[in-house]
This record gives sequence, C-alpha cells and structure tokens, in this order.
Amino acid sequence: MENEYYPWGGDFTVCKTNGCIAVVLLQIDYTPPSDVAIYGPLKTENIGIEKIVANLISNPYIRYLVVCGDDIRGHRSGSSLIALHKYGIDEKNRIINAPGAIPYIENLKTEAIQRFRAQIEILDMIGTKDKKTLDAAIKKQTTKTPGCFGQPYIAIRIKPETTKIDDKRALHAKIILNYIGKVKKREG
Amino acid sequence: MFSFTKKQEVFDISEIKIGGQPGEQPTVLFGGAFFKGTPDFKKTEKDIQNMFDLSKKTWNPCIPDFFIKKEEDVEKIVDFIEKTLPKNQPFSVDIIEPTIKIKVLEQLDKKNLLKRTIYNSIHIGITKEEKEALKKHTPEMTIIVAFNPKDKSPDGKIEVLENGAHLTDKGLLAIAKELGIEKILVDTAALAPGDYSGAAIAAIPVIKEEYGLPTGCAIHNVVEKSTWLSKHFEAAKKTVDVSSNVNIVLFGGDFAIFGPIENADLVFPVIAWQDILVSEYTENYFGVRPAESHPRRKFF
Repeated sequence: MENEYYPWGGDFTVCKTNGCIAVVLLQIDYTPPSDVAIYGPLKTENIGIEKIVANLISNPYIRYLVVCGDDIRGHRSGSSLIALHKYGIDEKNRIINAPGAIPYIENLKTEAIQRFRAQIEILDMIGTKDKKTLDAAIKKQTTKTPGCFGQPYIAIRIKPETTKIDDKRALHAKIILNYIGKVKKREG
Repeated sequence: MFSFTKKQEVFDISEIKIGGQPGEQPTVLFGGAFFKGTPDFKKTEKDIQNMFDLSKKTWNPCIPDFFIKKEEDVEKIVDFIEKTLPKNQPFSVDIIEPTIKIKVLEQLDKKNLLKRTIYNSIHIGITKEEKEALKKHTPEMTIIVAFNPKDKSPDGKIEVLENGAHLTDKGLLAIAKELGIEKILVDTAALAPGDYSGAAIAAIPVIKEEYGLPTGCAIHNVVEKSTWLSKHFEAAKKTVDVSSNVNIVLFGGDFAIFGPIENADLVFPVIAWQDILVSEYTENYFGVRPAESHPRRKFF
C-alpha cells in the first residue's frame, strides 16, 4: 500500500498518524496497540530495509522503532536494520557489520540514512514474541513525548538510467525479434 | 515463441540436460523441500517420490531442492540425500547463511555427492570463506542469482553477471569460473510484487541471447510474497502460483524453481503442456528438434 505519509509503499498497516512508534515484525503474528503509527513485517535485508527507512523518515512524528520477533535465518534482516542504524553503510553501500546475506542499501541517498539514524531510536526486541511483554514495552514508549523531528523527508528513489526504445521489434534495449521471430542482439 | 541467434549451451548433470533453444530440451523443474521445524523426512521422501512419478509421466526432469536453514540439520539432510535419492539423481542445496553453505559443501564432499550437486546459489553476497570452500569442495553445477539491489531491470541483472555492479570485485560469471564451476545456470532473481517483479521474466531472453546460458527463475517467490492475493483471493493463489511458471517457458527459459514440492501435481502437467506448445511451433517454424526425452515425444 501507499499513502501520503508513507510514499514508498509496502506491506504495512497504518494506525495513528502522529503516533511516535513504528513496529517491525519478524516472523511474528502480533498486532501492536492501535496508538502506534505503523507496523508491518520485514523480510529482506536490502529492499525491505530501504522501504522501512524511506517510510519512517517521511513521517517525522515517528521517533521510535521497535524490532521484535525472530530474526529470519540467513537474511538476518532485523539485525541488519539495527546495524544500519548503529553503523551506517560503507563505500560499497554495504551495511557495516550487518549479518545478513546481501545487506546493501542501493536506492537511498546517504542523507536519507543519516536522517533515519538521527530521527529514530531503536528498541531492539529481537527474540521477544510474547504479546504481553511487547504490549508493555510499546505502552511505556507511547507515554513519552519526543515531539516531531521536523519536516518530513521524502526520500527519492535512486533510479538507474534506462535506455529509451523506439523500435517496435525490441524485446528489450539489448535484443530485438527480427522479421522471422528470431531473437538477436540489437545493433548500436 | 522465438529462437535465439546465440548458440545455446546445454549442460548435463547425472544425465539430466538443461538449456538449449526453446523447444529443444524439456523444462527442468526444481521442487523445494523446505523442512519447517524438525525435518519430517518421511513426508519429504513421499513428496520426492511423487515428483519422480510425475517426472516419469511427463518427462520433465525434476530436481529436489533442499532448503537447509539450521546448522544442526546439515548432517541429517545430507544423510537423507545420500540414502534416499536414487544414485544417479541430481539435487540442489538451497542455503542462505554463508557458514551453513560451507558446512554443507564439506558434508557433500565427504559423502562423495558433489558430482550430483547443484549449488543454490552464488550471488553478490558471496564471502571469501564461501569462495575458499567452493574451491575446495567444487559442486558440478551452480545457480547464479542475478540479483542487483540497485538496478532490478534486465540490464542490472546483466551488470552483476558481467562486472559485479561494484558489489563484488568481478562479475559473478567470472567468479564461478574462477572457482572451477563451468556449468552455470542463471536465476533471474524474481522479487516481490511492486519491486519490478516482471523483470525476472523479461530478463530470460536477454540473458540467453547475451550468454547462451541456461536461464530460469523462481517466479513462485513473487506470488508467495503477495499479501494482496492472500487477502482477497486465497482460493486462487495456488492457481496463480502454478500458472505463473508458464511465463518462464514462453520467454524461452530452461528451468523453473517452482516452490513447494507439494505443488508438483499441478506444476508438472502445466509445464509439460507449455513445452509441447513451444516445441510444436519451434520445430515447425525454426526446425528445432525436440530431444528424445521431450514431453512432446511422450504424448504425440
């Protein structure tokens, strides 16, 4: 889904617009209290994290991110998200110290990551699945009044350059179907 | 339906052939054994046998794809592979965690199973330790996943194969060859709906024309990740899942990693049917003769 507060879309549920908490669910069937701002699952340690970062910084009311449930084997997306918050990314856009298999942030500018690290405080509850414990932790956080961080930061998706095609026989910028229906490399 | 100008490689592993021009070889079907919780080997054995029976009926070769997530399951699953699969049956091992990948390679070598192993997979997350393990315990065949987190288009997928897209020191194809693996299957990396998912299908003919390598994907992943389907069309989800594999065949692909092995009953006849359609056309129009083991020869 997509809305004005969360322009990058994704698989999430929106609750209270000016709520200060977002909740990331890792392999857990849990519905947080309705006064959180937004909650949803995280699966991948690259594209999934990018969406979370972009959507969080576009709503400056969100100041806390609760990461709960069981981290996904191999992907380790929850721990990679926490590593991004703690350490940022290196010159190859790899999340520093991330344990995931492919923890690269390729579609966000460094500025967006810096904003995420400044705006958000993370509550690392990886390993916690008990509803009561989670409800209590979130409730405690809800009582705080951290205030709005400032203006929304609308992250622009970094897009690779694409080749324009005006050839109707083109299947793709690199290949065409010739007059007998044979695929061949496009010239030029 | 079309034919490629570039010469198309056909690789074999334990007598199963993968690759070629559309309509030449039957589509190879990878069925996933996921082992949720404690591995239920009895059920898995039954599911694999069912897939073998379907393969005998349609002539589409099958590859059991073993998901290994926990370190404590490595020995048990490799033992199961050794003891349960027919001695000439190839299989693939699908592992995410690099440390577990290394342990599995060691075990497979110990049991003398590497000649039948399809390694699933090499991708941009390959570690130095994983490379060393692959050099020491080299599988017969590997899948390379052409996932490029920056550019999910067919161009981006080619970029990681060609030069690693600055994420690895060289292209994934060169890495696999340096490790001594010549038989390479390219998986075009199907992503979640909303993440340029159709590019996995569009990339199939692009990669085949560029490299001539056997190419396919796990298009099932797109359907699996759709909450929209789950929420509104739960009853139709399996139909969508199974039928989405048809795209692979129509776009000239050579293999489908079709998801849970339990879907085999539906996937095999659907794909055999597409193989027949494609072959009827490509033989008549392009003169591509179907292999002796092609489903078309079985039915007509």
